[in-house]
Amino acid sequence: MKHLLIAALLVTAVLLPAQTAEAQARGLPSAAHSDTSPQWDQLRTQLFGQRRIEADTAASRVQLIVPLRAAYGASVPVKIVSKIAQTQALYVKRLWILVDKNPSPLAATLELTPELGQADFETRIRVDEYSHVRVVTELSDGTLHMDSRYVKTSGGCSAPPNRSALNLIGRTVFKLPQGLPPAAAANSPQQPVLADVTVVHPNDTGFELNNQTVMFIPSYFVRSISVSYGQRKLFDADLDFSISENPTLRFYFVPRGPGELRAEVEDSKSLRYAGSLPVAVE
Amino acid sequence: MKFILPATGPWRALLLAAMAALAITGWGTAQAALPAAYKALVIEATGQPERYEFDLSAALALAKKDNKRLYVYLGARDCSYCRRYEAFLDKNAGELVPQFASKNYLIVELRSALSARAPKLFIRIGNSSRAYADFQRDIGDERARQLVYPSVWLFDAQARPLMQMPAGTGTFETVEEQLEILNLVQ
Repeated sequence: MKHLLIAALLVTAVLLPAQTAEAQARGLPSAAHSDTSPQWDQLRTQLFGQRRIEADTAASRVQLIVPLRAAYGASVPVKIVSKIAQTQALYVKRLWILVDKNPSPLAATLELTPELGQADFETRIRVDEYSHVRVVTELSDGTLHMDSRYVKTSGGCSAPPNRSALNLIGRTVFKLPQGLPPAAAANSPQQPVLADVTVVHPNDTGFELNNQTVMFIPSYFVRSISVSYGQRKLFDADLDFSISENPTLRFYFVPRGPGELRAEVEDSKSLRYAGSLPVAVE
Repeated sequence: MKFILPATGPWRALLLAAMAALAITGWGTAQAALPAAYKALVIEATGQPERYEFDLSAALALAKKDNKRLYVYLGARDCSYCRRYEAFLDKNAGELVPQFASKNYLIVELRSALSARAPKLFIRIGNSSRAYADFQRDIGDERARQLVYPSVWLFDAQARPLMQMPAGTGTFETVEEQLEILNLVQ
C-alpha cells in the first residue's frame, strides 16, 4: 500500500505539471492591435532610431487591414490603405511591412513614386505565430506613420509547401483585375487603375520540410520586384521569405497615355525574370 | 501482444498508480466526439470507404425552422488535435454551452476519419453533393487548398458562411478566443 501511494504521488507529480504547462501553452497571449512587443521595440530602434512614428489611429496616414484569424498562416491577406492621395506635393515615399515574431520580421520594404496615384497595396504574407503585423510609411515630408494588427495564426513558416508549378518559376504576370476605366474626358484627371503583379515562385522559407526526403528545403525566395509603367518607375520592392509563395502585389498606377507595365524580378539565387503587359489607354 | 500485470511488488504498484493517475488527469479517457453537454446534431458519413459524404440538408432545415445559425464541426475519430479541442470544450462546457445557446448556434458534428482526405470528403446539400475543395470554392472559403482536421464552419440557415474560419481549431482553444469565434470577431 505504501508502494502504491508513493508511486501514485510520483506519477501524478510528473503528469499534472506537464498537463498544466500544456494548458498554459495553449492559451496563447492576447494583445491589443496597437500594443508594442519586445521584438518591435528592437526593430523600431534598428530601422527608425529615435524618429517619431505617428501611430494614433486618427492621426496616422496609413491603415492596415488584416484578418484576426486567417485561413492559413502561410497565406495571410494584408491590405494597406494610404489615407492620402499620391501627389507630387505629398506622397508615400517608403513603406515597410513587418511581422514582429517571424524569424525574419521585415517582410518587405517598398520605395514608391507619385506615379502610383494612390499608395494602397495588397499582398499575402506568412505569419509564423501569434504576432503583430505592422505597416510603417514614410511620407515625402519625412514624417513616419504606422498601423498595426494583432494576428492569431500559427505554422505559417512550417506549413507544407505547395510546389506544384516549379517548372514555371519566375513567370511574371500582370493583371488588371478591374480592367481599364472608360475613356475619361480630355480635361479630367486620370484615375488610378488597379493592377496585380504575380511571380510564380515557391518563396521557400528554409523552415519547410520536404515530405519525401524529410530534409528542410533551403530558403529560396524573390528578393526584389521593380515595377514601371512606360519607363517611369512605379515602385521598387525588396522582399523576404515572409511574403507567401507566388508573391503577388496589388497596387494602383496612373496610366498617362499608352504604355507597358513592366516588372524586373530577382530572386535569392540571383536569377532574373521579367514580365510585361501593354496597356492601351486613350 | 499481451499486457501482463506483475502479481506483486513495486512494479505492480507503480503500474496501478500510473493507471490511476492517468484516469485522474484525464489521459486516455477522451471520447472521439463533441462532449454530450453541447447536444450536437451528429451526422455520420455515408458511402464509406470510397467516400465520406455528409448530408447537411436536415441540419439546414432545422436551422431554418428554428431560426438558428450552424456551428459545423468536422472531427476525425483518429485525430489527436480533434481530441484536444473536444477536451477543451468539455473542460469549459459550463461556461461555453450557454454561450453557444445565447448566440443561437445549432451545433452539428460531422464524424470523419483522417483517411478521409479532401478528394474523399463530400458535402451534400439537397441534391448537390460536392467534393471538399469544390464545396469550399463554391462558398468562397479559402481553405479549399488543404483539408485540416478538425475544421469548423459557421453558416447561416442558407449555408452561407458567416465568416472566414482558420484551418484547425488551434487559435480558439481558450474561452476568450472561442467567444471571439461565436461573436464573429474578425
